Amino acid sequence: MEGLVREMQDTEHGGVPVRSQKLFLTSIPAAFMGYDLIEWLMERLGIEESEALNLANQLCQYGYFFPVSDSKNLVVKDDSSLYRFQSPYYWPWQNRPPDNVEYAIYLAKRTLRNKQRHGLEDYELEALSNLRKNLANKWDFITMQAEEQVKLSKVLKKGDKIISDSQERAYWRVHRPPPGMVTSLEQCPVPTRSWNGSRTRKRTIEDCRRDVELLKNSLSRTRVKVSQALEGMVQHVETYAEYDPLITPTQPSNPWVSEDTTYWQLNSALVEIPTEKRVRRWALSMEELVSDPTGLQEFTNYLRKEYSHENIRFWMAVNDLRRSAQSQIQRKVNEIFEEFLAPGAPCEINIDGKTMEKVHQEMKAPSRFTFDAAQEHVYTLLLKKDCYPRFIRSEYYKNLLATGIQPSQKKRFFGFGQTKKKTSTSSAPNQQLLQQQPSQGATVTCGALSKRRGSDRSLSGSAHELAVSGVKDSKVPHSHSQSNLSDIPYRGDLACLPKTSPIAAPVTSPVKKPSIAIVAGASTSEEVCPWESGNEPRSRKNSAQLDSGSSSSDISVAVAEVSERVQRVCTLTQQHTVDGSRKLSTSTMDPPRRASVSVPITHSTTTGDSSKRKVSSFEDNSSAATSTSSSVFVIPSDTDNKAEECTSTSKTVVKNHGLAKACSVTGANAPIISVSSVADDLPVDSKVEEEAEATCSQQEPLAPLAEPDSESPASELPPSEPITEVEVDTEAKSNDVCPWEDEETCKVDTPFVKTYATLGYL
Amino acid sequence: MTETEGKDCPIETIESLTKEAEALKKKLEDERQKLNDITLATVADRLDIINYMNIKPRRTLKGHQAKVLCSDWSPDKRHIVSSSQDGKMIIWDAFTTNKEHAVTMPTTWVMACAYAPSGNLVACGGLDNKVTVYPLSLDEDVTLKKKTVGTHTSYMSCCIFPNSDQQILTGSGDSTCALWDVESGQLLQSFHGHSADVMSIDLAPSETGNTFVSGSCDKMVLIWDMRSGQCVQSFEGHESDVNSVKFHPSGDAVATGSDDATCRLFDLRADKEVAVYSKESIIFGVNSVDFSVSGRLLFAGYNDYTVNVWDTLKCVRVCLLYGHENRVSCLQVSPDGTALSTGSWDYTLRVWA
Repeated sequence: MEGLVREMQDTEHGGVPVRSQKLFLTSIPAAFMGYDLIEWLMERLGIEESEALNLANQLCQYGYFFPVSDSKNLVVKDDSSLYRFQSPYYWPWQNRPPDNVEYAIYLAKRTLRNKQRHGLEDYELEALSNLRKNLANKWDFITMQAEEQVKLSKVLKKGDKIISDSQERAYWRVHRPPPGMVTSLEQCPVPTRSWNGSRTRKRTIEDCRRDVELLKNSLSRTRVKVSQALEGMVQHVETYAEYDPLITPTQPSNPWVSEDTTYWQLNSALVEIPTEKRVRRWALSMEELVSDPTGLQEFTNYLRKEYSHENIRFWMAVNDLRRSAQSQIQRKVNEIFEEFLAPGAPCEINIDGKTMEKVHQEMKAPSRFTFDAAQEHVYTLLLKKDCYPRFIRSEYYKNLLATGIQPSQKKRFFGFGQTKKKTSTSSAPNQQLLQQQPSQGATVTCGALSKRRGSDRSLSGSAHELAVSGVKDSKVPHSHSQSNLSDIPYRGDLACLPKTSPIAAPVTSPVKKPSIAIVAGASTSEEVCPWESGNEPRSRKNSAQLDSGSSSSDISVAVAEVSERVQRVCTLTQQHTVDGSRKLSTSTMDPPRRASVSVPITHSTTTGDSSKRKVSSFEDNSSAATSTSSSVFVIPSDTDNKAEECTSTSKTVVKNHGLAKACSVTGANAPIISVSSVADDLPVDSKVEEEAEATCSQQEPLAPLAEPDSESPASELPPSEPITEVEVDTEAKSNDVCPWEDEETCKVDTPFVKTYATLGYL
Repeated sequence: MTETEGKDCPIETIESLTKEAEALKKKLEDERQKLNDITLATVADRLDIINYMNIKPRRTLKGHQAKVLCSDWSPDKRHIVSSSQDGKMIIWDAFTTNKEHAVTMPTTWVMACAYAPSGNLVACGGLDNKVTVYPLSLDEDVTLKKKTVGTHTSYMSCCIFPNSDQQILTGSGDSTCALWDVESGQLLQSFHGHSADVMSIDLAPSETGNTFVSGSCDKMVLIWDMRSGQCVQSFEGHESDVNSVKFHPSGDAVATGSDDATCRLFDLRADKEVAVYSKESIIFGVNSVDFSVSGRLLFAGYNDYTVNVWDTLKCVRVCLLYGHENRVSCLQVSPDGTALSTGSWDYTLRVWA
């Protein structure tokens, strides 16, 4: 590099444009002006002004030239200030280590001269006193030298004096920079890097042998034509350009630019519903699929359905083995062998005799690479050539692709799937809905909340966050169990839902179980609007509700994960810390609360909520939270709405259920909702329908009550929610007795009320 | 391998071997040349030019009291670990720019740091010749659980977790690389072949990949088989120290950045250099390089305080990022490709997007 600099300098010296002598008040030989330099650089190198300026500054910092008049800063300005080349003797590439004696002379000299112009700076004074201490024996000599030089300099012409002064100063400015300023010349203190010579260590005969060996090997290496290799690379880049956020903008937005973390939530390692783009990426290659945790999970699920997942499991096990700690190797090797390879193993994989033989041989000296041959075989022959193409062609994959989230196109995203069921879904609400939000179509909750700042975002956010919860959980045990639960049943659901949902009502109860929960979710979102659409002020009411809702949901969060949460609380925002305490108090109430339909939903929101917090404690957090929770609270009202509108509740259930899945927002909600409901409703099984009906009817009276009271605290904010809550709860107490009786004993009732009560007080 | 220093070698056999190596090298070059039928720029001709890039500084992380020497993204895409000359290692939430941990090392010049794939572990080391692992936890002092995993005979210049929390791969000034078992501190494999300080290493992108690349002050770039400890491929071409190496996302090529002010691209399948990224106006050394996730863009941090963005296929510079007030010492694209982090001797880190 230094060579390059020098070469450039030389060309300049050799008469290329810049070498101009400018006159100042006194004539200064061989100086040049800032803008001349910049211009020359621009012309010579064909670069922009900014780059030229940067380059010039760099060279100046290295001390190749220096400003004549300004001795304090080594900065090149693009103006008529004068610069002069440092004499090559002082160029840094000479690697002439600056000498302390010289420095001392220089400083001493300056003390001897005019205070005003040559006064020393603080750091220089300090350096001088230090030097005096260190060089005490030479100090006489130093002062003598200094005096001598001062005398000499007095003889010089003024112009020369300025030059030599500034030259000297610039040199020391580079080599003895003021503290806090970094010099470009500072060397790495690493021994071998700082001395320039003899950096390569002595070569031993072994090195040479190794070299020859390597060269021989590389001679026999098979290579492809450059054109072929490059074509491959170009193709790769073209294929992936779409997935490169720095080339193709991300959807919905790059978090770093927009401050909105939705993108990360949508694309976290494990999600319920991957984005469509992500699913598409799995089709690019098997490697893409298996390197994505969600992809791997889907692939495994698919293979499990086909009863052929032992291959992928073996592959994963071997991968795990390879990365295990040394102490685990022996045990893991045996485990893998027992499970997959031993004759009659529970998950015996199908490999050919030769590979098997190899494995047996390797087993004698087990290592982390023992199963590499078998893994290779399984990977290339079975997974890559057989399972993977089948997966990509399968309905399962197509379904994933179809249900994938498309964050870019919200409209399509919400409308999708609903096209089928829209007509059949709650027609009445829809009308109202349309009145209110003609453009928003299916994005109901969103519409209802549209007056709130960022509500739109929060809605989608909440959906994603819900989806995320599963992901985040990989670390945090709390909702892990939930997501696991949800995962399998839900997938199953999803797969058959498009077809079944129209007919499903009377048919399969397992499908419906989750569905009921979904319904709740869906219906809420659906029907918030109609509720709201009646009066203008209610939108505000809604927000009040939301707030209270959020708190209630927080409580239920606590149920599952108090411990973790408490840990986290510190990072959460103020609001959340409050929640922490609530959580604690309510955590015991979990089982009873499950009893009612509304509870599962609360659960779901909660999970969404909590995950969200973990993901981010951002501003949209609270709004998102509220939006989700809104659904919780409106339940009573809309369920009864439904009851009114539809003659047979069960049908609505089914329809809604379709709906829920249809808009993927709710779809995202769904899995988690379904989890809890499934978990909770297991004993109830076939009662699902009835239950739905029951709740609906039971809650009918609740609704009117709920409405006024939530209206009243319209403008109230979280601090005042308790009141609302309590009221609602009392109503709940009075009205909701039946649903619990449906499934559980009355005992349940009391704790349930208590839950809410505590909530209220807090 | 590399330089012929036959006359320096005292023993006869070394001389003869060196001669043989020379002859082989020549043959190899011929062999490579035979297949050299086209340049990258020609192949990339049909592609559109990237003429506008909207990359701006989005975050500035201030807190180090000395030069930032190394940084690494967490797999969660928003945390960064960075180490500096004064022996501090800081874990940042880059998104909020908050510091989550600050660890003081018993050494200066912490030249390397790395996040483990789980995100629960970081490793660092430098002039202390050691690689130390710190498990990250919120509730207690992370230094309590630190663990020294491996020791080199010279400074440790780079480290990386090879897709596992249980192993760590290091490169050192003693011209070797080594693979360590984190739990036991056992040396699993050492890699001899460079004749000067190893400055940088990078893993092949494949999940199951067993290869990695190293760049060294002997101007060589070597590809290694982690399993056998053997060097499987070597590239030369740089005229000065190779400071940084990075695998192309396709896994078929490696990019290098060197003190000779160039970046180069070496293709593994064609077994030769396929592109040089240089410009007459760029006369300062490259400290660090990284690819965008598609491999189309190559970011390179230079000693002249700038980051140059190269179009890898067309071999032209796309844009220049100004911002740092001193050398750009390290640079890395975030795992999902949404951002670029740079660390500099001006004590700050920046995130660009």
